[in-house]
Amino acid sequence: MENLFTILFIGLWLGGIYGLVSIGLTLIFGVIRITNFAHGEVLMVGMYGTYLAYGWLGLNPYLAVVVVVPVMFVFGVLIQRVLMQPLLDEPLMQMFASFGLLMFLQNLVLMLTRGASLGIPSSGRADNLSIAGINLSLGHVLAFVASTVIVIALHFFLRHTMMGKAIRAVTQDKRAAATMGINVNRIYRLTFGLGTAITGVASVFLTPIYTLSPSIGGDFVLAAFAVVVLGGMGSIWGAYFAGLIIGVTEAAAGFYIDPALKSAVWFLIFIIVLIVRPSGLLGTVGAEEVGLREQH
Amino acid sequence: MSSISGISNGSPAATDMQRLRRAAVHEPFGRIVGKYLFGLSLALVPFGLLFNDYYSINILTFVYLMAGLACAWNIIGGFGGQFSLAHGVFFAAGAYIPAQFYLKYGVSPWLTAPAAAAVVATAAVLISWPTFRLRGPFFAIATMALNEVAAVLANYSDSLTGGARGLLIPFKASFSHMIFVERWKYCALMFAFMALTLAVVVVIRQSRLGYYLLAVREDEDSARASGVNVLAVKLWGMGISAALTSVGGTLFAMFIRFLDPPTLLSLPDIGVKFALLSLIGGIGTVWGPVLGAFFIIPAENFIRASLGGLPGAHLVVLGLLLMLAALFLKKGIVGAAAALWRRVRATP
Amino acid sequence: MRMHKWLFALSTVCALYSTATLAADPIKIGEINPFSGPLAKYGLELSRGHELAIDEINAKGGLLGRKVEMITGDATNPQQAIATVDQLANRDKVNLFSGTYMSPVSAAASDAAQRYNLLYWETIATAQELTERGLPNFVRTGPNAASYAIEAVAAINNLIAGAYGKKPGDLKIWIEHEDLSFGTSIADTLKTLLEKEGVKPIGVSAHSFKAIDLNDTVLRIKQGNPDLLIEIGYVPDGNLLLRNLRSQGYKIPGIMYLVTGDAPETLEAVGADALEGLLVVSYPRTNLPNTFSPGGDHYLAAYRAKYKQEPAATLGMTAYAGMQMLFDAVTAANSTDPDKVRAAAAKMDKPLGSYPGGYGVKFDSNFQNTRALPVVVQWQSGVPVTVFPKEAASAGVALKNFPRR
Repeated sequence: MENLFTILFIGLWLGGIYGLVSIGLTLIFGVIRITNFAHGEVLMVGMYGTYLAYGWLGLNPYLAVVVVVPVMFVFGVLIQRVLMQPLLDEPLMQMFASFGLLMFLQNLVLMLTRGASLGIPSSGRADNLSIAGINLSLGHVLAFVASTVIVIALHFFLRHTMMGKAIRAVTQDKRAAATMGINVNRIYRLTFGLGTAITGVASVFLTPIYTLSPSIGGDFVLAAFAVVVLGGMGSIWGAYFAGLIIGVTEAAAGFYIDPALKSAVWFLIFIIVLIVRPSGLLGTVGAEEVGLREQH
Repeated sequence: MSSISGISNGSPAATDMQRLRRAAVHEPFGRIVGKYLFGLSLALVPFGLLFNDYYSINILTFVYLMAGLACAWNIIGGFGGQFSLAHGVFFAAGAYIPAQFYLKYGVSPWLTAPAAAAVVATAAVLISWPTFRLRGPFFAIATMALNEVAAVLANYSDSLTGGARGLLIPFKASFSHMIFVERWKYCALMFAFMALTLAVVVVIRQSRLGYYLLAVREDEDSARASGVNVLAVKLWGMGISAALTSVGGTLFAMFIRFLDPPTLLSLPDIGVKFALLSLIGGIGTVWGPVLGAFFIIPAENFIRASLGGLPGAHLVVLGLLLMLAALFLKKGIVGAAAALWRRVRATP
Repeated sequence: MRMHKWLFALSTVCALYSTATLAADPIKIGEINPFSGPLAKYGLELSRGHELAIDEINAKGGLLGRKVEMITGDATNPQQAIATVDQLANRDKVNLFSGTYMSPVSAAASDAAQRYNLLYWETIATAQELTERGLPNFVRTGPNAASYAIEAVAAINNLIAGAYGKKPGDLKIWIEHEDLSFGTSIADTLKTLLEKEGVKPIGVSAHSFKAIDLNDTVLRIKQGNPDLLIEIGYVPDGNLLLRNLRSQGYKIPGIMYLVTGDAPETLEAVGADALEGLLVVSYPRTNLPNTFSPGGDHYLAAYRAKYKQEPAATLGMTAYAGMQMLFDAVTAANSTDPDKVRAAAAKMDKPLGSYPGGYGVKFDSNFQNTRALPVVVQWQSGVPVTVFPKEAASAGVALKNFPRR
């Protein structure tokens, strides 16, 4: 039974990572109603940025948050303004543009690093924690904590600040919000920036754990989409809990069934969810059948 | 209901609807065949010019193949408006099935290609039935997930697909094997494939199925309200599209003769490419996918040849081009050309 | 005086004539490698290894009295490989092809080269099927997937079992591999070879090299409780596995990595402490003793002189040696025709320790060089030290901290 607890803990921190990576995506999707297939590459850019902050500025990777997050915010605003805003009425072209962005970012990083594998040297000293006889790594625990803190902070932001309320207004009915004097495009830019900044936090917590490569974004993006769909597109708590569910499922499938089939298992779950309850756990029922192009 | 009431007031939805109506009016049969043959002969020009340039003939072979595959995708993706990223699965199945029958039982791919196409079409219909409830990005993501599951399974099942090691088809040239010594024969085969898919596209476009597909794309709810069986239309479109894609996969298999999951099921190289070519060329038009293939594939190769030394540089350029195309070529090359033509005709 | 002038004139004319013939009608070797994608740095390193061997032979008067020229082509997948072969064969009229970093590219390119009846001399690509297809123009000088398995088994029998104080058959071995063609083929061969020796692995498990987490894999291994863990994978999953092992606090008595795991990026990622004692079966390095690896220092010096940096990957020297073997075969055959070269190659019989890297030459019926074996290094205090075979180990080198107690 000790194995079961270990698997549970592994699944939880893995779920924390998934949540971190997906919260930004679901926010963008829920508010702006666009699918950003380049989300993994955005994460990857943040990871390389964290590495740079470590390499050039000598910052402890976790402290790099103060540098990486604001830069990512600006990056997100730029993407929205330059690429997505002009295509708001053309969802197909938007998806297409995000594929172009994916290709561009991934290969830009490849070009600049010439394919060298980069990684933040591990401290050498074991960064293990032992809780109730179960071994965990500090990096993983921190990722889980960060994920929880972010979702709570975001919740408060959306609920109790003017900006947050404006975002929610636009999500519910952008035409009504516009008549109330809210600059919808400005809210979109803010949201994309915010979503990207949150992804930046994820990048910072992931960089110490992994060996970086230009294609590492792709390893996370499919999982992120699965999490977003399971949780309900647009629901940040949905992304958080779906992340945990998928994390535990993946760890359990890997251990009890076969690690080689891990990803197929949760993909199947994802497809089943899409078919049986496409709105996900906490999403608005029927959203997927409206296609999210028009708001009613 | 809003889009119907908006018809006569000159809004974008209105002009679309008007264009739809106009397009659906039957063109005279002779005109259609004439345009088809004219377009095909234009497409044949490079073949004649580059016949002896071995490098370019290879690229042209690929251009014809991808043009055909993009046309096939366009049936459900362009006309039907269902952005499918699962076509890589149909392509891979069309490659693996005849390859295995050829390797294990010596059956000619000419025979197994149509059979595999039928099987793949049926499977496609069954798989997409439940996913067609989803719209827009949800549908795209679900089909993307299907592609990933297929990739994992293809890697895992040695007996069906040769697993991770893949399948190697040895070189035994003969017409019945669909293996040729001369490159130009492959090129001609791919051209024939493109001609076939274009023919199917033209026929569908002029048929009621085509009209219904376009209606479903424009406004699914209105179409349903008008009595169109939306699900049946989508399934027919998907089935035909999958069958043609499967045939393309068979041809690819006998051309490259090296099949493994990364080669067949890579999203950026295969699954997304079909959509990309159609989008750039002009989604939902007859000739758009062909133009897309003729533009992008040589461009890709050319850029790679010029920037080859710097890893990733050519794809940086390509990615940039795609983003620019999305922003400025919203109706694709066909649309841009049509707009240009209108402006030229408008000037006195 | 007149005699000297005559001699001088004669020798000048001879010299000019020989350089003239050297320059005229060069032997062109086509090389197809990924130069543009994420594997570009390996393609480049391979290419450099070939180039250095070519420079060397040109300085000695060329091959068959002709200058050797290398013409490269970029390909990162089979379609591109076919197109590039067509280009090199038709436009550049190459006389033969040399080897490749990616196995799928090698498979397609060599097949295409066969249409032109051109030799494909593979120096690096490791997929088993390349020599098992029976393609009549294909020769491989470097290790293949099986070679890694063979060396691993040799190490188990002659080095590792002894260190444990057990008989090989009593060792509990777990094989972990990445699930694509690379890891699967080596793992399968390893399993077969071990079983033939009466050593049945207690577990064989696969994972994706792109996996975000390998903790479940670690738990499974822990359940099996092996004496020796063998991992076959790429750098990302290799690093992650070590990290996850450490975070689980699970100290396996002995770990052996195949093919990857000896590069600086692993040291950086995991730290010298976690790597201490790890064995890696990989390409021979340039610092092997001259008695085992003659010419290794030549390669290193030439590399530093031409490229002004240290070699970026160990495969360069193996490519360099492979190219030298090509020159020997072509000289023996006095032709670049694939049938003649293969016939000459079949007769070649050079013992281990004839070429840089410690390679010899003896081709089997599939034209796989049977005397091309990787070596075993061990991480000792942050440095990879060659420990096996004995002849490759420098004086005073021994296994340390193995198995871990």
